[in-house]
Amino acid sequence: MVRKQTKLTYLLIVILALLTLSPVVMLVIGSFSKGLNTFGDFTVAKYVSVYTDPGFYAVLGNTLVFVLFSALFSTVLALFLAYLNNRTNIPGKFMFRVISVVPMMIPHVLFAVSWALLLNPSNGILNLLVMNIFKLESAPFNIYTIRGMIMVEGLLDLPIAYLIIAPAMASFDISLEESSRVFGAGNMKTLFRITLPVLRPAILAAFILCVVRCLASFAVPSVLGMPGRTYVLATYIYRTVTTGFIADYGKAAAVGMSILVLSISLIYLYRYMTRSSEKYVTVSSRGFKPVVITLKKARIPLFVLLLIFSFMLIMLPILVLLYTSFVPYSMVPSMKAFSTMTLDHWKNVLHDPVSLSSLKNSLFLCLVGASLGTVLSIFISYVIVKVKTKASGILESLSFLSFSFPGIVIGIGFMWFFVRTPLYSTIWALLIGYIATYLPYGIRPMTSAFIQIHSHLEESSTVCGASFLTTIRRIVAPLLVPGIVSGWILMATMFFRELSLSVVLSRPGTETMAVQILKFSDDGLWGRLSALGIIMIGISVLLVVAANLVGNHFKPVTD
Amino acid sequence: MEIQIRGLKKYYYSEGKTIKALDDVNLTIPANRIFTLLGPSGCGKTTLLRSIVGLETPDEGEITIGDTVVWSSERNIFVPTEKRGLGMVFQTYAIWPHMNVFNNVAYPLQNQGMPKAEIEERVRETLSFVQLEGFEKRPATKLSGGQQQRVALARALVAKPKVILFDEPLSNLDAKLREETRKELRSFLTELEITAVYVTHDRVEALSLSDTIGVMRAGKIVEIGAPKKIYFNAEHQFVADFIGRSNLIPAKVKEQKESFTVVETSLGEFVCKERDYPVGSELTLCIRPEFIDLALGGDAQQKNTLTGEMATMVFVGEVYESEIRVGDVLFMAKVDPETTLEVGDAVTFSVKPEHCLLVSE
Repeated sequence: MVRKQTKLTYLLIVILALLTLSPVVMLVIGSFSKGLNTFGDFTVAKYVSVYTDPGFYAVLGNTLVFVLFSALFSTVLALFLAYLNNRTNIPGKFMFRVISVVPMMIPHVLFAVSWALLLNPSNGILNLLVMNIFKLESAPFNIYTIRGMIMVEGLLDLPIAYLIIAPAMASFDISLEESSRVFGAGNMKTLFRITLPVLRPAILAAFILCVVRCLASFAVPSVLGMPGRTYVLATYIYRTVTTGFIADYGKAAAVGMSILVLSISLIYLYRYMTRSSEKYVTVSSRGFKPVVITLKKARIPLFVLLLIFSFMLIMLPILVLLYTSFVPYSMVPSMKAFSTMTLDHWKNVLHDPVSLSSLKNSLFLCLVGASLGTVLSIFISYVIVKVKTKASGILESLSFLSFSFPGIVIGIGFMWFFVRTPLYSTIWALLIGYIATYLPYGIRPMTSAFIQIHSHLEESSTVCGASFLTTIRRIVAPLLVPGIVSGWILMATMFFRELSLSVVLSRPGTETMAVQILKFSDDGLWGRLSALGIIMIGISVLLVVAANLVGNHFKPVTD
Repeated sequence: MEIQIRGLKKYYYSEGKTIKALDDVNLTIPANRIFTLLGPSGCGKTTLLRSIVGLETPDEGEITIGDTVVWSSERNIFVPTEKRGLGMVFQTYAIWPHMNVFNNVAYPLQNQGMPKAEIEERVRETLSFVQLEGFEKRPATKLSGGQQQRVALARALVAKPKVILFDEPLSNLDAKLREETRKELRSFLTELEITAVYVTHDRVEALSLSDTIGVMRAGKIVEIGAPKKIYFNAEHQFVADFIGRSNLIPAKVKEQKESFTVVETSLGEFVCKERDYPVGSELTLCIRPEFIDLALGGDAQQKNTLTGEMATMVFVGEVYESEIRVGDVLFMAKVDPETTLEVGDAVTFSVKPEHCLLVSE
């Protein structure tokens, strides 16, 4: 038993190291190489050319502004929403659950595109509308700016920040606030001197995670940044490998290194913060309902604000895409617009072989990839939680590493690797890349599920004569179903909408839906893009619903 | 400062049922004494405490602290918690984890805008009063349960409030520490001129700590009195039973004699401590296990004497906790630990009339 566990641990370490460390190693070596075909031929020329290019520093500046302000925007907004939900009597509290879950089903690239359709300076629907109403000469808003990018990215990362801050706010020992009031501090003073400082670890953790995600973000900078020539590091790398006479993967790797180093340090800082936050755990109270702050005049306006947010996050992108998929060209919704509606874009997409093959590829990657990833996650989480050896500690650190992987950077690393294997330009290259990059999202829910299974349950199975594998199959796995389902859903939705890794690794024939959508966006084919986008969102929703149904069916105990 | 509570009502509604957390509570809490609200969980004692401090808003009634009306439904007065100038020790201590001991204790003074030097002086004074000198710089999270409790007490006392409130502050301490802290708390509080309101469900805590106990049940104050009065002379069956273990036997008043009341029970006649009820009243006879006297056994013809059989005996150290079967009644009794009696032995015991307490519903 113990020897089998040790063997399993080492096997998993090898697999995980191959998956997560190899692209990093290849990226490092690649950044010191002359080109894809002269791998290992040492040179520092790429670094010199990157770090002496004044254009690079402009990009770096853009990146800092974009990343910091987007993360700040999401964190502050999440904090505000979590406070409203947990501490006030705002009506319609189910909206908060919707805000934190539903946006997962809308791919980032489509979210960005929908805002471009609304607020682009030449024919954005909202711009045209405002111009008509106020008889303006020029468009009042331009989404193709760094401010536009910050707003859209901030909204996209809002759910992640909310999911970290809201539970911390909910488990907050309310008597900490009550005592502050007893000792003479009002609501505001209590908020700033007690509530926010106590929540600081969670707030910082949310901020850091948002920073990491903004650094890795590719959809928003490419859809909203590139038209206005606002480049950030991710799009700068993309430009390096897609434009010019020859793709310079060495230079891309050299740029990528700076993002990766930053990202890895931040993600370990995040881990350190969330660990040390345990020191703020206080004696739990007997569960008095938190004293709700009664919003008087502000109640309805705040509720309307909440409605607007959820509308902007969920309904607006879908409505805009749906509308655009039916009108022949961009125009303000009117009787005339509705009378010109056609199914042309839908017909075009459904007869477009590339779109259809991208649909097939994405479905394959999502179903097969998420299932393989889930199986791997089960084994890894088992070892991390239940086999507490030094080796399993290594496994945990390794599995955490890819949380920090910006898709486009790790894609460059994988390029250096795959180009030397027969996997290059096959769908399997994408599959491996996906699993390597998004494995932590499968491992996380599984680890928390394992923690809940008491070791006595397995030990008694062993005592009853079951082998290690039988114990996993008959005892552990059935109890894990909820964790497995949520891990699978998370991976499947992420794989289905994956863009940043795919733009580097996909080749003609292995396009994914998100890549195809980006191509439509580059070509300005908004109608077809919208039709394909609606199909994509529809499948995403179906996936989540189906997985939930399966999960409920296999629940070991039905209540 | 005296606390006056008039006609206080607070109803909760859940799943179509109305829960009366406070059901027309009228109460005067005497100044500069330790007053304990005692009752089982859900009896409304914590709701009452939280209403006094202003963390809960009652539906109806009036609360006056000293000369200030802090809450009145009729006159539409509500003084917010932070303006009431009270001290409170929470069940979870509510020590702010992001501050050190000094800042935790200084907080109430900082909110009053006291000058810095004075704050330092006062905090040092208060910390030494609760025997935590030199702990100023210690992070709040690096304290033991007992130390956190003292910090919470220091914080509640530092602004020298006229009223201090305690919400089951000892329930998170282990048994031994709880006993020590109880004694200490009583000496701290009697040393100061302060009105203390203390909420607990622990009868020993209430008996040993208080000057006055108010026993609560289902949102009502059932009885108020000094610990000894509540223990030896309760008027209600609920109070007698809650404050200590008791043998309860249905009884009917047979006749009133000079300084005694005679009742009839299924076990025969009992001569009890005098209670002014008319002949024929249905009451309950309450006898505490420690007053069942085997040594007085002797003559079975004597009043208040019963003969039975030793049914169970559990040795717990200072006594045998035993049960004596008399007819179909099991009497709890405390028996001398050095007794030679065994289970199955016939026993005769008696109870002095002053230990036979008649209580009503």
